[in-house]
Amino acid sequence: MLPTGVHFESYGGEARLLKTMRSRVWLGGLLIALFCVPLVAGPYFLGVMTYMYISLMAVYGLYVTVGMAGQINIAQSAFVGVGALMTAKLSEFGVPFWAAIPLAALATGMVSIVFALPAARVKGFYLALTTLAAQIMFPTIIFALPSDWLGGLVGMSVTGATIGSFSLSSPVDFYLLTLVIVLGLSVVAFNLRRTRFGRALIAVRDNDVVAEVMGMNVLKIKALAFFTGSLFAGVAGGCTAYFFQFVTVESFTLFASVWYLGMLIVGGTHSALGAILGVVFITFIQEGLHEVATIAMQSGSSSSGGAIFALTSIVLGGLILLALIFEPRGLAHRWSVLQTTFQLWPFPRN
Amino acid sequence: MINFLQILLEGTLVGLVYGLIAISFVVIYRASRIVNLAQGEVVVFGAFFLWSCTFGLQSIGIEVPLFVSVMMTLVACVLFGLLLERLVFRPLIGQPAFAIFMASVALLILLRGVAQLVWTAETRAFPVILPDGAFTIGPFLISTRLLIGGIFTIVLSFALHYFFTRTRQGLRLAAVAEDHNTALSLGVSVRAATAIAWILGTIVATLGAVVLLSGRVVSLEVAQIGFKALPVALLGGLESIRGAPLAGIIIGVSEALAMAYLDPLTNGAASGVLPYAMMIGVILLQPQGLFGWKKIERL
Repeated sequence: MLPTGVHFESYGGEARLLKTMRSRVWLGGLLIALFCVPLVAGPYFLGVMTYMYISLMAVYGLYVTVGMAGQINIAQSAFVGVGALMTAKLSEFGVPFWAAIPLAALATGMVSIVFALPAARVKGFYLALTTLAAQIMFPTIIFALPSDWLGGLVGMSVTGATIGSFSLSSPVDFYLLTLVIVLGLSVVAFNLRRTRFGRALIAVRDNDVVAEVMGMNVLKIKALAFFTGSLFAGVAGGCTAYFFQFVTVESFTLFASVWYLGMLIVGGTHSALGAILGVVFITFIQEGLHEVATIAMQSGSSSSGGAIFALTSIVLGGLILLALIFEPRGLAHRWSVLQTTFQLWPFPRN
Repeated sequence: MINFLQILLEGTLVGLVYGLIAISFVVIYRASRIVNLAQGEVVVFGAFFLWSCTFGLQSIGIEVPLFVSVMMTLVACVLFGLLLERLVFRPLIGQPAFAIFMASVALLILLRGVAQLVWTAETRAFPVILPDGAFTIGPFLISTRLLIGGIFTIVLSFALHYFFTRTRQGLRLAAVAEDHNTALSLGVSVRAATAIAWILGTIVATLGAVVLLSGRVVSLEVAQIGFKALPVALLGGLESIRGAPLAGIIIGVSEALAMAYLDPLTNGAASGVLPYAMMIGVILLQPQGLFGWKKIERL
């Protein structure tokens, strides 16, 4: 809700994302802070942040497919993988990174449409199962292809990104690059629900029969939902490829897909803010566990790498279950409750 | 020709194992309308329960006869089912299908984490419960373990089919599978159905683990079988218990044929991709599978 005294003289004003001066100032401050992080942070922290931005790109994609259009997609990591492999292949042909990433994203979108086509016949979890099939088939197919096509078992190395003669190589460069890309995608993700296409997605999610009766081509919208979601995944894949400068199929597992979905669910499926909150929250929990494990290992206890992995799985699985059971609207809803309480203080909310 | 028939035979027997795991998947769906993606992890839990009750106890110096260990495993399966029902699925009754589906996805990683923490990732020997070895009929070589497992799968599917279609309790479960709200308004306990579903599902999954692993090794990788069973369950029809063994045979045979004749041409991908390609085909052509309930949707 809005603070007292804010009023609008046009519909355009009411539809704005940032309605008050205060929210604009806060956002500006946040942006400046994000761009200043490299001044104070070490390379490890920058790496964590960069990876977090890449995850956020993929989760934005899920927000479009799962959150807005209501089509479950448990193959996001495979789509990220397709994007990464395409980028690697394109960079092998000497395509510069600013062209390779969009092209790879388009290719990823095309691939995803194949798995969205069963939407013509089925919906709900049957559709989810086709994406699951995509995720399971992905490594098998890549392994079987000749290894000079897409790397196969060995993987592909990626030549570093360059702008003109300037080569992006240090963690700071990559941090800034992914930050710029993720900000661009954020603008898209936050504004999507205000567009005609976004409203169509939400209509299909809420009731696809009614959407069809109102004259929407539901199949086309579902396919486009997968396509758009995979564009985000493709960009994430492209960034992954340049970030690690090496791509193997093995890093794009079903587990990663579940992680992405888990981030979205914990954050809240129905808003782009949820995607951000979920990614930040889960990343920090993951890093926290990592930190605890490192300390435990230094102090000589017997915990091994396997136990850390097990613990992160348990924590994430538990968090998804807790979110589903106790707060299906996710952290985003908690955040808005907090905001309202703050604005109404000292009066009670509701 | 003999070679071809041998491939068919082996495909059939392996397919029946898939069928058995698919039955454990179908049982949960048929009794509670939960699509459980974590079925592979349930198989792993069943296998580790049995391992703990035999070799696990032995390694800490307690010798128990096999019969007692099997009983202990059954008790563990029942407790596991009750725990999942109470902690995970009871709070989700009445929630949209999306939430329940996502809960099973969350269980997938939660259970894997727990299994890795409790039993660690190392591989262990699995107790010999079914006789090992093979015998020959004419020119064909048949694995005793798989044959017993196959016969058992078929018998079990008929028994469970009888339970679900002819007994009062089974019909209640079928009502829950059709619609939670209708079942609740008719006085059928969805909680009880979910608990029974998970107990039955875990027990059948454990039986599947016995057939699959008897005398071999068990590790976390066994969970892969859960994704093998998914195309089988879908092809047979998610509500059809008798469809699962038949679909298992179809998938098993086509996988074996692909392995023998297509894999050399495709660098080993055909047999891995085929079941899932078939799954997508089934979803496209006949979503209810061979014997599933056809749901008619209209305005």
